[in-house]
Amino acid sequence: MKSVLLIATFIFTLSISAQTPYEKGMNDAFALWEQQKNTEAVQLFERIASAETDNWLPAYYAGLIEIVSSFGLKDEALLTSKLTRAKGFLDNASAISKDNPEIMISYALLNTAYIAFDGAKYGMTLSGENIAIYQKAQAIAPNNPRVLLGKTEWDMGTAKFFGKSIAPYCEDIERAIILFNEEEQTIPYYPYSGLERANEISSNCKKETSPN
Amino acid sequence: MKTLLFLLLTLFCYSLFAQSTISGKVIDQQGTPIMGANVYLSGTYDGTATNENGLFTFETTTTGTQTLIASSISFETYSNTDDIANFSSITIKLKDDVNTLDAVTVNAGTFNAGDNAKVTALKPLDIVTTAGALGDFVGALQTLPGTSNVAEDGRLFVRGGDAEETQIFVDGMRVFTPYSPSANNIPARGRLSPFLFKGITFSTGGYSAEYGQALSSVLLLNSINEPQEEKTEISIMTVGFGLGNTKKWKKSSLSINTSYINLAPYQKLYPDNNEWHKPIESVGGEAVYRYKFNNDGLLKVYGAYSSANFDLTQEDINEVDGIRFGLKNRNLYINTSYQDFLEKDWSIATGVSFANDRSEIKYSDADITDVENSAHLKIAFKKFFSSRYKLNFGAEYFATNFTENYLDTNFENDFELDNNILSSFIETDVFFSKKFATKIGIRGEYSELLQEFTISPRLSLAYKAGTNSQFSLAYGEFFQNPKNDYLKYSSDFIAENTTHYIANYQYVKNKQIFRAEAYYKNYGDLVKYDTPFALPTSTYNNEGSGYAKGLDIFWRDNKSIKNTEYWMSYSYLDTERDYQNYPTSATPDFASKHNASLVVKRWVEDWKSQVGFSYNYASGRTYTDPNKGGFLTEQAKSFNSLNVNYAYLISPQKILYLSVSNVLGTKNVNGYQYADQTNMDGIFDRRTITPAADRFFFIGFFWTISDNKNDNQLDNL
Repeated sequence: MKSVLLIATFIFTLSISAQTPYEKGMNDAFALWEQQKNTEAVQLFERIASAETDNWLPAYYAGLIEIVSSFGLKDEALLTSKLTRAKGFLDNASAISKDNPEIMISYALLNTAYIAFDGAKYGMTLSGENIAIYQKAQAIAPNNPRVLLGKTEWDMGTAKFFGKSIAPYCEDIERAIILFNEEEQTIPYYPYSGLERANEISSNCKKETSPN
Repeated sequence: MKTLLFLLLTLFCYSLFAQSTISGKVIDQQGTPIMGANVYLSGTYDGTATNENGLFTFETTTTGTQTLIASSISFETYSNTDDIANFSSITIKLKDDVNTLDAVTVNAGTFNAGDNAKVTALKPLDIVTTAGALGDFVGALQTLPGTSNVAEDGRLFVRGGDAEETQIFVDGMRVFTPYSPSANNIPARGRLSPFLFKGITFSTGGYSAEYGQALSSVLLLNSINEPQEEKTEISIMTVGFGLGNTKKWKKSSLSINTSYINLAPYQKLYPDNNEWHKPIESVGGEAVYRYKFNNDGLLKVYGAYSSANFDLTQEDINEVDGIRFGLKNRNLYINTSYQDFLEKDWSIATGVSFANDRSEIKYSDADITDVENSAHLKIAFKKFFSSRYKLNFGAEYFATNFTENYLDTNFENDFELDNNILSSFIETDVFFSKKFATKIGIRGEYSELLQEFTISPRLSLAYKAGTNSQFSLAYGEFFQNPKNDYLKYSSDFIAENTTHYIANYQYVKNKQIFRAEAYYKNYGDLVKYDTPFALPTSTYNNEGSGYAKGLDIFWRDNKSIKNTEYWMSYSYLDTERDYQNYPTSATPDFASKHNASLVVKRWVEDWKSQVGFSYNYASGRTYTDPNKGGFLTEQAKSFNSLNVNYAYLISPQKILYLSVSNVLGTKNVNGYQYADQTNMDGIFDRRTITPAADRFFFIGFFWTISDNKNDNQLDNL
């Protein structure tokens, strides 16, 4: 009896200290992504999403990787296939978590991938859509640093296009950095990233706007 | 007790860690292994990707009935629910995803514009930024092959057909009077503002069974479902001004546009060869209301009202003082459409469109009042069996009531006609594979006026021959009731008809499109009459006939030159017909044998400007020289026009737009008018019909006021 108890306790402790399948899956997927194995990472996130039907994160990441890896593609058929797939993942994610600012700005990123490929073909309709997305996201989450960063980057792009000063937007970048630093990171695997990008833009800002 | 517990525990552990192996191979329809497919059990973490031989194997601890999923980019996702024991050494055949960009498309005869299409001949901005188009969506379409340049008319003439053989639809509903009326020899403009639409499909032949009463061509416009933001737009132009406003609510939105056009100041500055008593003045307003229902249903109500008037005297060889022509027109158009997705992959689209058009025409000493009331009712259902098999069917009813009052010093007459048509159609889209697809349809129409029932079969096939190229074929029968001009005098007719045969080759690669299309069109039962004009006293019959054959070539390149896009079109047309009062078969005076156009646009970053030009060429059209005898045997001079435009973005919200048509001032000839009587030397004198003005200038300033500082009216130009 004693040994039985011992074994039982052992098994019990093992299962506590060991990672849950979710954690293991997410860690593996992030590792694959880090190693630039995008397809494998997307596939793993897709499988996790099929198991975790009430968690938006795996589908969100599957979509995000498809979007990020489609920038710079030259083949329109492949581009639309990847982005259509990405949209499917984002649709699944937002069905689980409605009005989620992180998912909303990923849709804007998806549109940007199309616009970057062919501005004349996609710019007219999709840039307006992006503006609307950022406005809505900002109304929902005024203190979300990623929403602020995304919107500001978009505005800066437009300002540069029209040969306008980007200086007024640099203040928003500084504000985003403050928000990033104040952000409490409590949810595991939540996409808290973005501070590095904000710092990078901030240093460009300082270079461009400082008097020589 | 101890042993029992131990045994139980071992069993429990065993079942907990029992593993079964899932393995097999993923192949495509040709049996080629697919590498990198994602194979997994739904709802578990168990799965893997296939290797270079399409093989996969993974362990699972689940038992019983499970769902195995295999997914890979550009294939349809496979799913199979079965006992897990059956998932060892399984062969999974993935079907090609026929919705991808590289799949075959049934497109013979059709051009798509807008961003909703796989292959876009014109991009959304092209509709409004093509030099010479002057913001008229018809102008941009005239740079596509298959259209003939008829500068003095302005409407769409497609493949040897006249302008009335093209029908225009908005959201599936017919537009009855799509063009603003104009005087003789002054081009008509489309009434619909181009920025209301997000997608345009222009078919030059062989189109779907869903559309009828068009012998040559259909133009399908889809309006915007949801405006992006609230804004106010102000435009100040050399020819008038406009004001627009868009409001958005949670589920609905309303856009209103108004415009006032007055050509008086322009004509003071640049007089043309007409004597204007009252230059063209028009007031118009349009409103679109959209409402989104909870269940994805979308209701759109579009209403437009315009009134226009002008009065002028035009030169005429038989009248020393010229001929006076005055017109007052008012037009109301309402288009209501509703679409919704139903259960089990059904969808419904239904709508009503209504037009009331009243014209008071003063022609010489005659007063003519025309009133046309027309309505179109339609209901269509779509069943989506799979991405490979779709069924579309529906019914529609067209009702037209036309009355005319003719009054001159010694004659008065009233004419009235009711032209009602009931039709129904059924059509199916089948993808046999990613490479081979077909569309088969049939349309039946019953005309109450002619008491005639017609059946039109339609068929298109498309085959993808290589990664970038495809061949398509189309065949169809098309019927159209004779024009109101004849029906108001007689109803003893049958419908005019054509048969289209089309062969198309298309090559698309990396922002480059090449397209060549050959066609043959056979016209039958065309209306003939025996007087110089269609008159109440003429004798009419349906014994006319004709043909049109030709080759259309299109090339668009958006990549070879940086920041520059260009396209070229060439159309060869050989057509003859024996209709109206033709004594013999001849090439009509609206058809030119060779048509070519080149459109170039360049974005100049440093100037924040888009510069563009377009060049149009059309070989000379036919005319009759009574001094030589014969009928339509002479050929006029060819048509040449170089147009330029320039859009300057002063700021994201302010745009300055300049455009000049026929910048070189080429003296074009629209035709000749011969005197009715010979002069003293026994020769018929003639007058050359030239465009009212050689050049046309347009300067506009467009200002958008919205919360968002980046929006502008570039799409409005």
